[in-house]
Amino acid sequence: MSGYDVPRFGHGSRVPGWDQAADLTKDPAVIPDSATTLVPETLRAGIEAAMAKYPERRSAAIPALHLAQELHGWCSPEAIEQVACVMRLTPAYLISVATFYDMLETRPKPRNDVFVCTNISCSLLGADEFYEAMVAAAAEDPDVGVRSFECLGACDIAPMASVNGEYVGPLETEDAAQIIEDLRAGGPVLEAKQLRFRRSVDPGAVGP
Amino acid sequence: MSIHILFEGIDEPGLNRLEVYQRRGGYQALRTALAMSREDVLGELLTSEIRGRGGAGFQMGKKISFLPRGDMDKYLVCNADESEPGTFKDRELMQKSPHMLIEGIVIASYAAGIGRSFIYIRGEYDYQADILEAAIAEAYEAGYLGEQILGSDHSLSLVLHRGAGAYICGEETGLLDSLEGKRGNPRLKPPFPAIQGLYQGPTLINNVETLSTVPHIIRMGAAQYAEIGTQTSTGTKLVSISGDVQRPGNYEIALGIPSREIIYGLAGGPADGREVKLWFPGGSSAPVLTKDDLDVPYDFDSLAKAGTMLGSGAIIVVDDSHRVLDVAYKLAKFYAHESCGKCVPCREGTNWTVKMLQRIEAGEATPMDLDIMASVQDEIIGNCLCVLGDAMAMPVGSIIKKFRAELEEHIEAARERAGIGSLENVIPVGVADAHAGPLPVH
Amino acid sequence: MPRPEQKEIQFTIDGREVRAIEGAMLVDAAKHGDVEIPFFCYEPKLGNPVGACRMCLVEIEGIPKLQTSCSTPVKDGMVVHTQTDRVHAAQNAVVEFLLVNHPLDCPVCDKGGECPLQDITFGWGRGRSRFIEPKRHFVKPLSLSPLVAIDRERCILCYRCVRFSQEVAEDYQLIFAERGAHTYVSTFDGHPYVAPFSGNIIELCPVGALTSKPYRFRARPWDIEGAGGICTLCPSQCNVQFTVRDETVMRVLARENDEVDDGWLCDKGRFAYQSIHVDERIAAPLVRDGGELREVSWERALSVAAGLARHRGRVGALVGGQATNEEGFLLQSLMRQGLESPDIDSRGRASVPLELGRALAAPSLQAAVPDLEFAHTVLVLGCEPLDDAPILDLRIRKGVRRRGVNLAIASARPSALDANAKLSLRYPPGTEAAFLAELAAALAGPPSSGDISALAKLLLEGGEDVVILWGERVAADALPTLLRIAERLGLSGRAGAGLLEVPSGANGRGLREAGVLPGVGPGYAPAPAGRSAAQIAAAAADGRLTALYLFQTDPVRELPDRALWEAALHRAALVVAHASVLTEGIREHAAVVFPAESHAEKEGTVVHPDGRLQRLRGAIGHPNQVRAGWSVLAEISARVGHDQGVLTSPMAWEQLVAAVPFYAGLTLQEIGGRGVRWPDRAQAAQMPAGSAPSAPAPPGGSASSAPVAGAPANGGLRLGSYRPIWASPEVEISPALKFTICRQHVELSPQDAARLGIDHGEAVEVSQLDGSSAAYSGEAGSQARGKLEGTRVHGTAAVRSGVPQGTAFLADGIAQDSANELTEAVVEVRKP
Ligand SMILES: Cc1cc2nc3c(=O)[nH]c(=O)nc-3n(C[C@H](O)[C@H](O)[C@H](O)COP(=O)(O)O)c2cc1C
Ligand code: SF4
Ligand code: FES
Repeated sequence: MSGYDVPRFGHGSRVPGWDQAADLTKDPAVIPDSATTLVPETLRAGIEAAMAKYPERRSAAIPALHLAQELHGWCSPEAIEQVACVMRLTPAYLISVATFYDMLETRPKPRNDVFVCTNISCSLLGADEFYEAMVAAAAEDPDVGVRSFECLGACDIAPMASVNGEYVGPLETEDAAQIIEDLRAGGPVLEAKQLRFRRSVDPGAVGP
Repeated sequence: MSIHILFEGIDEPGLNRLEVYQRRGGYQALRTALAMSREDVLGELLTSEIRGRGGAGFQMGKKISFLPRGDMDKYLVCNADESEPGTFKDRELMQKSPHMLIEGIVIASYAAGIGRSFIYIRGEYDYQADILEAAIAEAYEAGYLGEQILGSDHSLSLVLHRGAGAYICGEETGLLDSLEGKRGNPRLKPPFPAIQGLYQGPTLINNVETLSTVPHIIRMGAAQYAEIGTQTSTGTKLVSISGDVQRPGNYEIALGIPSREIIYGLAGGPADGREVKLWFPGGSSAPVLTKDDLDVPYDFDSLAKAGTMLGSGAIIVVDDSHRVLDVAYKLAKFYAHESCGKCVPCREGTNWTVKMLQRIEAGEATPMDLDIMASVQDEIIGNCLCVLGDAMAMPVGSIIKKFRAELEEHIEAARERAGIGSLENVIPVGVADAHAGPLPVH
Repeated sequence: MPRPEQKEIQFTIDGREVRAIEGAMLVDAAKHGDVEIPFFCYEPKLGNPVGACRMCLVEIEGIPKLQTSCSTPVKDGMVVHTQTDRVHAAQNAVVEFLLVNHPLDCPVCDKGGECPLQDITFGWGRGRSRFIEPKRHFVKPLSLSPLVAIDRERCILCYRCVRFSQEVAEDYQLIFAERGAHTYVSTFDGHPYVAPFSGNIIELCPVGALTSKPYRFRARPWDIEGAGGICTLCPSQCNVQFTVRDETVMRVLARENDEVDDGWLCDKGRFAYQSIHVDERIAAPLVRDGGELREVSWERALSVAAGLARHRGRVGALVGGQATNEEGFLLQSLMRQGLESPDIDSRGRASVPLELGRALAAPSLQAAVPDLEFAHTVLVLGCEPLDDAPILDLRIRKGVRRRGVNLAIASARPSALDANAKLSLRYPPGTEAAFLAELAAALAGPPSSGDISALAKLLLEGGEDVVILWGERVAADALPTLLRIAERLGLSGRAGAGLLEVPSGANGRGLREAGVLPGVGPGYAPAPAGRSAAQIAAAAADGRLTALYLFQTDPVRELPDRALWEAALHRAALVVAHASVLTEGIREHAAVVFPAESHAEKEGTVVHPDGRLQRLRGAIGHPNQVRAGWSVLAEISARVGHDQGVLTSPMAWEQLVAAVPFYAGLTLQEIGGRGVRWPDRAQAAQMPAGSAPSAPAPPGGSASSAPVAGAPANGGLRLGSYRPIWASPEVEISPALKFTICRQHVELSPQDAARLGIDHGEAVEVSQLDGSSAAYSGEAGSQARGKLEGTRVHGTAAVRSGVPQGTAFLADGIAQDSANELTEAVVEVRKP
């Protein structure tokens, strides 16, 4: 864990967007008119169902963005506009919400997500090394995006990762290649290490 | 050594399904509660003196009694965001015994006179959310949720809301904003959520574990529940223990047992030949303790007396194979990443701390930088809008205080590595001044 | 909701016992004890405090943690300290934290010298920073919009600009993206922040992160002066402060007046000052010479205008909304007494009879601007506040958002406020009379279902304080019913309730009070009968009137029936105009043009739609050869043999006061910088009482006022028109606002667009379907009519889901392809 990279912020920073000017040829982004915005029917129905669950429709913003991301692969401007049209919110409002949360992507991303926890408990047990191995293993695969993530709430299987939502661990370096292989095969990923099958370690937790 | 309430039979196959849960006596407590008056149920919760299991440790019954009475829309929100590093107990509860949580929510809402409830679960807990969703559907089906529950005058709706990845949404007011479909920025308090929370209505917010305990309090009787644990920390607590221990995982303990029993007795302590260097008793936000503190009783007040906190009940053990500098750096980076950015001391303070630690590692620091770093932590604490800033400043500050000698060694070693010898090479012109201690206040 | 009562309490701050209003935030209450607490994010105009900057921390006895004084309401007996070591340490810390990522490029920053961050760093900072790590640096400045530049390095994330966008303008276009220290101010996907009120964010920004592109680096704070004034570009009459450097207006800022503007400005008011100093502005008198307008001496121009004397009894005058009360007063006197021509008007549409006009303007029936915020219910009738009086749009939003006002909209065209309204009702364009008749019936009758009954129920049961905001566009035949409704709701004499009319001219109300209406003299006194604007056009077109006086108005552009006005101006032997821009009608037809003053140059008074007299004072001298309007009028008057004895603007004011009984005793001094609402003064009783015709006006010849259900039978579309906020010559010649110049958008419902096979964004052509209008007679009339039948208005189709089926909406008052080329109620829209 030694030798941190010291970021020197300069022009071409790594905070995307900071250096972006508005495109003055565009029209202002107001709430899209349903007369001129095409929204896929499944998405519209999904969002409307989500809105119906809450006393205020705005509450459905995150669920709606999840749905749009599922459909479009990421929260593309088009996806955001569709959500905005159904929810009667401005696209800017939704992009503001989407960029706040780590799981909503406002840039194109690979189809498969591998979130490697590199927070404290996992890194004590070698998460940083695993993360590097995972990045290397996925380097050739455009369908797999590897991200280091903050604590995913599974330090009991540290070091661990969430592969498309499936928690796996404890991981060793070799598992990285296996994850890629399993993803390609399309079946379960690292089935033996899936958290869902893990039993409680508490000796007093009696179960049959 | 351990009393089991929440974890009793937790691994029973199919417990997540209504049928099994009921077979084991599930929803009996709800029947008992509905047969009582709302006041009596609240009375039980007050008598049990159960304190919140999410972090702040505030008495649940008291919180309910702050809710205004009357006919307005009131809300219950279950905090299932569980993002505090080292914490994973709610995950196991929701995955394995979702109906216990639902039952707790219905009873608590009854006691508080609430008609609408939500579970805010972190977006990463996809599997657990699916399980909860199925359980909620079953509970509606069986009449444990919905209109006039079990023929009583109590009605409750329950909606599962998935988050999307932001630690700050565990903070109760950030959670409310997020649940309202906004960025998860914390709100100013007062007004407290109990007075003005979700959609401006009075709102009760409790952690998964707190709510899951409610059916047991009703089942056992509050007085008996309060027998467990200590005078001011009643009941059992799920402890998530991780890091350098041999058997990481969740353990249910009676509050007040010596910490050593958890770390060594239950979790097996660090690997052979290693010893505990430092440990976080209540998630990464808690000021660290050292191997000298292993005998502190594990309860709210004893830990507070030791200068730290029980927090979410997550113990992270760091053994002597690790550098404290790296631990501090991980911490600072995490909080900088998760600061919502709304208030100045947290946003800038966490980032400044990260930069200082990077400078140390790059060999560009002197021991005096530790003073600046410590003072920056002091300036964060108490000055932020919510306590996320404090959550970095307290552990980092405690590390500087307790491990100063080691940090100074790292500074020297890093300078050596970087080939920077004398201090003049390190301190940029004009800055030596700034190091020279406090300046006169105007 | 009625205004909350205020109670005084006592508290202690830094050892001083101080009285303050209970519930005021400490940061404000502290001022009563002469204690200044620094802050960045606090701005009560933006809604509830956010407590983000942490600059305002103070110590309160009994509370362990320091508290943000911006969010802590003061309570009786509170003991507050702002000068303890703890507070100092926290303030020092916050300043140091803020500067961690602030570039300190103050010498080259446009905000330098008027920057709260500079001032607070100086006053409450430690003086030195211990931050030696590299700061972030980014490309700067960048465009946020055509008007605003953004320098993200300097931003301290105080939330002010985004709160404005989200909680005041409610356009939700300006947002924070990302999280933590990566947070930055942004818009969606690179779209510019273009919205009617966007410029306010410049003034709100406490650092140099948001700057005005037109103002950037044009001046430094130490070489400018501020001069208070009134914006007369629309009836909102916002109070402004002109930033003046070397007799040049460099910038316009808001001059907060709760009773008028609440401290906001629209972008027209903020940026159209540029029109004062551009080449397109007419800066010297012009006379038509060999068909061309040429610059001439004042003497020459005045003597041409004095030729009006030869048209005695045959002159018609139109007065534009930018005229002051004094100018209107002098002009009506010139017309009536000097030229014996009673044909003078300041309203473009059908005129309102004297008695009815008085009844509508009755002081007891007038609501004030703040009433929009505190009423139980506000009904917006036949106007679009955003276009017609933009600042009122913000006030209505505020009322709904903060005070739970019940908002109802009744209009032909979808409104920007629809989303905030409890009820939005649509009627076919021009059918206000039928609509109001139904509403009156619903108010009188037993409850029933339907939209109109729901509206009646809201008005009756939503609370007693009802304000009806209505526009001059509401058809005149509907007004007696409007009065009856007001009576039924008991609005007369009720504080906090009433009618509020948005005239189409900025000083529309003042001009009426000054007697610039046919048959209505100063102070609503009866005057010899005269022709209304439309009658003036017809009379000039067929030669009954031979000279026209256009005071700061171009009817070809601004009034209905462009063809008729062209014929009228063409036929008139002498057209005298006061103008600042050569719009088409003036350019083609005026014989003499006097350069008109801008609102930064004028001296005089205007009347706000709610009866507030406000004072204009010259912020800058007259550029070039411009002279004061009142003096030109007085001079011409003298030359036609009617010496008005006016040597200064205040002298004209005094004559006006003498002629208007309900202004009696009012002095310019009293009006001062904040204005005086005359309906609140005792002399308001001098206003002559009016009355409404007892029976609703007969349908008359105007076919448009009969309710038209469904779509017109002949496959055409009903024509509705509106005037966009940007439709003004001042906007067109202001370089910074060029991007807002309106092109014709033909708004169609999705159903009609589909039926006609027209896609959103396609070019379309609008023609008249039924040319049976009877208004044209005589030779000029038939010429006009021939032109009319071939009329084609070109535009772009805008398919909007809110547009009711069967109607097409077109903009008027715009430079090209304006809706006033069309005179028929039914049009045909097709692809060319
Ligand atoms: C930064 C921050 C993060 C928090 N995260 C969580 C969390 O993930 N889960 C939780 O239950 N409480 C969390 N809390 C505590 C909550 O604010 C709140 O106190 C708790 O949910 C109340 O429930 P309890 O009384 O049952 O503990 C967090 C607090 C802070 C300041
Ligand atoms: S302390 Fe941090 S997380 Fe909390 S409001 Fe401030 S910036 Fe946001
Ligand atoms: S002014 Fe109080 S926190 Fe910013």
